[in-house]
Amino acid sequence: MMNLLLVDDEKKFVSMLARRLELRGMQVTVCYSGDEALAAVEKKDHFDVAILDVKMPGIGGIELKRKLQERDSRMKFIFLTGHGSDADYQVGAKEAEEYLPKPLRIDDLIASLTRLDGNT
Amino acid sequence: MKNAKNLFGYDSLAFFGRVNASISHELKNIMAIISETAGLLSDLSEMASTGTPVDPGLLKNSTDSIMEEIQRGFETIRQMNRFSHSVDKPVISTDLIELLNLVCHLCNYLSFSGMLRVTQWVGDPPVVQTCPFQLQAIVYEIIVQHFKNAGPDGQLEVTVQPLHDSGCRIVFSNVFLKDVQVFPDDHLRNAAASIAVIIECDRDENQLELYVPSAIQLVAENDVAIQAIPADGRPSF
Repeated sequence: MMNLLLVDDEKKFVSMLARRLELRGMQVTVCYSGDEALAAVEKKDHFDVAILDVKMPGIGGIELKRKLQERDSRMKFIFLTGHGSDADYQVGAKEAEEYLPKPLRIDDLIASLTRLDGNT
Repeated sequence: MKNAKNLFGYDSLAFFGRVNASISHELKNIMAIISETAGLLSDLSEMASTGTPVDPGLLKNSTDSIMEEIQRGFETIRQMNRFSHSVDKPVISTDLIELLNLVCHLCNYLSFSGMLRVTQWVGDPPVVQTCPFQLQAIVYEIIVQHFKNAGPDGQLEVTVQPLHDSGCRIVFSNVFLKDVQVFPDDHLRNAAASIAVIIECDRDENQLELYVPSAIQLVAENDVAIQAIPADGRPSF
């Protein structure tokens, strides 16, 4: 069973997404900020994949990814973003294994997770 | 480049673009929530069709969530519409409370927004003859600089004070500018001067004030210039 860390400041969005992933047999921990995510990683053994919103108040997704990697080098990353500029895409594509725009298609996310799982 | 920027009104376009980018991000977030919630309802429907029991509370929460986000979307579009129409006329009678409330809404769409409050107004609204678009741009820039430096917990209070017949003072209290080397910079002062607005900043008291004259008028048709209708004088601190 995949163990996921989901981080986004949009509480309704992340709660709904977590439910849908749980219905598909995944274990999901939800955090609404970078600080919460760092605390969750300190408490728990290991997350297979972190799904991060790029733009959040406080610690943004890219900086959060770097901090999480320092704590767990095995963790893989998927970025989600509501911003659509080419510059955002370039940064996201460079920084994470997978990069998905919002609104999200669940099939695309599952495909990304499957790819990442296959690469472990 | 400076001349080309002036020719195209680049600064105004840049402000318009920034605001619209933040509005589009807000609308995307709303659509993302509706999309996920509709997806969850679809998942639950599929479960129900295979005989798996579905929690009715979850169904109600999901549909309520969609309705709330639709209303949030309508409200966002309403603010976008108000902002878009602020360029309809270069100089017009402007309710300063309405203008500040609009700018506050627009600032709340920023990913780094903090706490912001416009003090409630009692009585006849404070109305001045000004360029609402340009005044919005100035107020927006002040609030953005505060948010960038204060972080999400920085609380900014905005108050309007009438100055008899000479206009109004817009007061920004608890404005966090200590770490900003130069503010307001020449660019912002020039933008304010273009509509006869004066900016006074007291960093030690964390206070910034805009003096907005009661009326300005266009003085020439082809070579547009702005003139403040003679006023009683500047506020004292």
